[in-house]
Amino acid sequence: MSTRESKERLELLQGTLDLLILRTLILGAHHGQGIARTIQQTSEDELLVEHGALYPALQRLEERGWISAKWGTSANNRRARFYSLTTAGRKQLVKETTKWKRLATAITRILGAELEET
Amino acid sequence: MFRGRRKISDFSAEIEAHLQLEIDRLQEQGLSAEEARTAARRAFGNVTRAQERFYEQRYWGGWDHLLQDIRFGLRMLRKSPGFSAVAILTLAVGIGANTAIFSVVNSVLLRPLPYPDADRLAIIWSGLGNANRAPASNFEVFQIRQRTKEFDQVGGIWVTNGALPGDGDVEQVKVASVTANFLPLLCPKPELGRFFAPEDEPNAPNAQRPIIISHGVWVRRFGGDPGIIDRVVRFGPRSAVVIGVMPQNFRLIFPGGSSIATNVDVFYSTRIDASDPLGPAYLRLIGRLRPGSNIATAQAEADSIATQITSFDGNSGISNFRLYIYSLQAEDVRDVRGTLLFLFGGVAFVLLIGCANVANLLMARATQRLRETTVRVALGASRARLVSQLLTESLLLAFLGAVVALGIGWAAVRAILAVRPPSLANLGEVHLDLRVLAFTFAVAILTSALFGLAPMITVGRLDLLQSLKEATRPTGWTGRKWNSALVSAEVALGFVLLLGTGLLMRTFVNVLRVDPGFRAENVSTFQLPPPSYEMLRQLQQNLMAFPGVESVSAVSHIPLDDTANWYDYYWKEGTPTELRSTTYADHRSILPGYFGTIGATLLHGRDFTEADDAAHEHVIIIDDLLARELWPDGDAIGKKLNITDSPSGPYQFQRDWAVVVGVVRHIQCHSLTAIVRPQIYVPFQLAPRPMAIVVRTAGTVSGLTNSARKQVALLNKNMPVSRVAPLSDYVARARSESRFASLLAMSLSSVALLLACIGIYGVLSYSVAQRTSEIGIRMAIGAGRSDVMRMVLADGFASVLLGLTVGFLLSLVLTPLVAGLLFGVKPGDPENYAMILVVVLLVSALASFLPARRAMRIDPLMALRHE
Repeated sequence: MSTRESKERLELLQGTLDLLILRTLILGAHHGQGIARTIQQTSEDELLVEHGALYPALQRLEERGWISAKWGTSANNRRARFYSLTTAGRKQLVKETTKWKRLATAITRILGAELEET
Repeated sequence: MFRGRRKISDFSAEIEAHLQLEIDRLQEQGLSAEEARTAARRAFGNVTRAQERFYEQRYWGGWDHLLQDIRFGLRMLRKSPGFSAVAILTLAVGIGANTAIFSVVNSVLLRPLPYPDADRLAIIWSGLGNANRAPASNFEVFQIRQRTKEFDQVGGIWVTNGALPGDGDVEQVKVASVTANFLPLLCPKPELGRFFAPEDEPNAPNAQRPIIISHGVWVRRFGGDPGIIDRVVRFGPRSAVVIGVMPQNFRLIFPGGSSIATNVDVFYSTRIDASDPLGPAYLRLIGRLRPGSNIATAQAEADSIATQITSFDGNSGISNFRLYIYSLQAEDVRDVRGTLLFLFGGVAFVLLIGCANVANLLMARATQRLRETTVRVALGASRARLVSQLLTESLLLAFLGAVVALGIGWAAVRAILAVRPPSLANLGEVHLDLRVLAFTFAVAILTSALFGLAPMITVGRLDLLQSLKEATRPTGWTGRKWNSALVSAEVALGFVLLLGTGLLMRTFVNVLRVDPGFRAENVSTFQLPPPSYEMLRQLQQNLMAFPGVESVSAVSHIPLDDTANWYDYYWKEGTPTELRSTTYADHRSILPGYFGTIGATLLHGRDFTEADDAAHEHVIIIDDLLARELWPDGDAIGKKLNITDSPSGPYQFQRDWAVVVGVVRHIQCHSLTAIVRPQIYVPFQLAPRPMAIVVRTAGTVSGLTNSARKQVALLNKNMPVSRVAPLSDYVARARSESRFASLLAMSLSSVALLLACIGIYGVLSYSVAQRTSEIGIRMAIGAGRSDVMRMVLADGFASVLLGLTVGFLLSLVLTPLVAGLLFGVKPGDPENYAMILVVVLLVSALASFLPARRAMRIDPLMALRHE
């Protein structure tokens, strides 16, 4: 069901969506559509976030107590469920970010070395 | 805090909101409403899929899966009704019996007595010579109160028969004489009026007495009149003033053998006259320990007080006087403790056996369903899902078992109450204990869960293809080892329980066979307050005239009755002063003809006659125990003993020398099994007291009771008749404890035996079913039917023999624990071992035979095609 437009974007790696959601929420409470938009915009439209996939992830994070949710009103006066980061979520974000950075560095190092060989 | 789970509708609303926000944004960018809607949907992806994923995430708490599992479980249970019934019944019996017995144990042994500061209440016995649970005298009470620092209160009570206060029919009830501080020790406040004050103690013997009546008498006799306080009422020959009414639920809970009735109807105050060191000892003492004191420190203090009392007056004759302090609670349950603990252990065994059985059943079944499980794993069922379903099934079994257990437990409590001995009757209501029910239920659930899941451990390691190919023949599975281990455990536990039961049953048989020294059949009895000698003789003659009556006599203490005992010390001529008060004998006042009437045996000498009164030389009859002890050469007749009698009136005790005119064979008068004290019989004329009339008839004579009442009323219309009962009732009651123990032990053992039998049968049947093709192959290559049968039997008996060995070793440790409950049989009795061994082997053979026969009948061709 992918369109041409979406093929050009990067598919999200498994497990990274949670991290991105947490990162987005550090700026303040957001509803699901806002989070999706923010991720897309911040990544300069490089990342493909299937909006539907966002919700199970939000649900999961909520159950783990990393984010909390409550119904509110959006800027254009629509009812929406707003998510915000909990203290536990903040800690988790720091942890995950560090982990991700180490992983990215390591992978970059390996990939870089390989390129030099060829 | 627990966060409530989101509803699916909330989730849908959120998705709807998301789409709307996206549409808004896209429209802002200039798309038409239609285009925006399509684009938003596309960006969202599959809405249904998102909803499904949301739904699945909640799966562990989801009701749907649970309901599905329960429905499936119920279907599985219905599919194999035999298995379900056995499993549920096994659990139900285990849980039910356990709960019932524990409820009894709890209400008797563990629940605190219903008294204020019950944990600080102690009973104080005195001991002198061969009596070590004896009441105390006024003098001793006075001395203890003077000297104690460990007790803040020491109160005393003495219970006897007396007249029911008020107008109306004369009736004899239990009447207690108490010290002023006694009732407040056991009761926070009276229902009406007040307790005794020191000034209520009588100054003159015939003064109008203040009395406190029971709630029962207040309602029955005075119609619950709220103005009863300060009313002057008739009380026997005198009048009394009612100063208080006890609360309805007040009961006296005293140790068996202390002659304190549970329900006393009238209390009056007694005076502690401390002047006579040798005065009668009759008061049962209750002390309340000071906060911070304990039994041990109180006992140490009591030892020193006892020494001081002994040295108080060197000439008093009191020597080796001792005091014993026990917690009231512990002392109350002393007699039944052993029985209850045995039963409790027995029930634990039954529960264990039951759990082993259920474990066996579940494991066997899970193995049978291995194919089903394997298919489901192959189709993609997650392990978690399988576990949750197996767990649900096990829990379902446990739950249904618990429901049936409620019924069984309720019935068992009823049954226990119906056969309980009087020593348990003292302790009031017994309810099915719900906490215990919950506990046993939890044990059952744990067992079911544990063993219901055991196969899952293997499923995880299963090679799917292999299992599918092998279908119902999982060769590598270790379940069979487990099963035979469980059977061995069942046999071991059952064997030990049966050994204990065997011992208790033989004890009961021995108790039945005991010769109490009299023949209770066809003897009727009833009791009277102190009558005059003339009236007693007249009554004797009048009753003799009744057709069918063979003989009539009277005794102050019916054998095996629990009326306040009369016992005192005695000495023969030439006994040094310091040894005079060291040995006690029970004293009984009797009319001539007593021994003949109850069927006792006069060994030497003569019976009393009408001439044996205070005007002549005082005479006594002693039992053979006393005769042998004092005059081993057998020449007791004509010898003199210093004893207590009261020729001048009831309880006007004095010491006298009396001549032995007869020797009677010892009569068991406290219990059927224990010889407590020797006996001295005194003619009624030398010791008038409340008496029991005994009437021997030829066979059953109807109307005797009414006629006796009429005869008594004719002679004295104010004399109440009470406790009309055949003598055999007293014997039955004395047997009731042993009967109770052996009856319950027997039912427990039957259950254990049945369960073990089911266990052996189940495991062998299962193993035969498992090995059908193996057996087929064996038979195909030439094994005979008897070989097959032998193989299966050997299989079963291997675990039985292992169980017996373990059981034997276990019994060496456990059976000595019941020694205290036994009479005439030793814990290690080889006959008992042999008998129980035969029973277990027979039952095992029976249980193994059916599966073995089934194995024998396997058709090899069918068996091979069985795959």
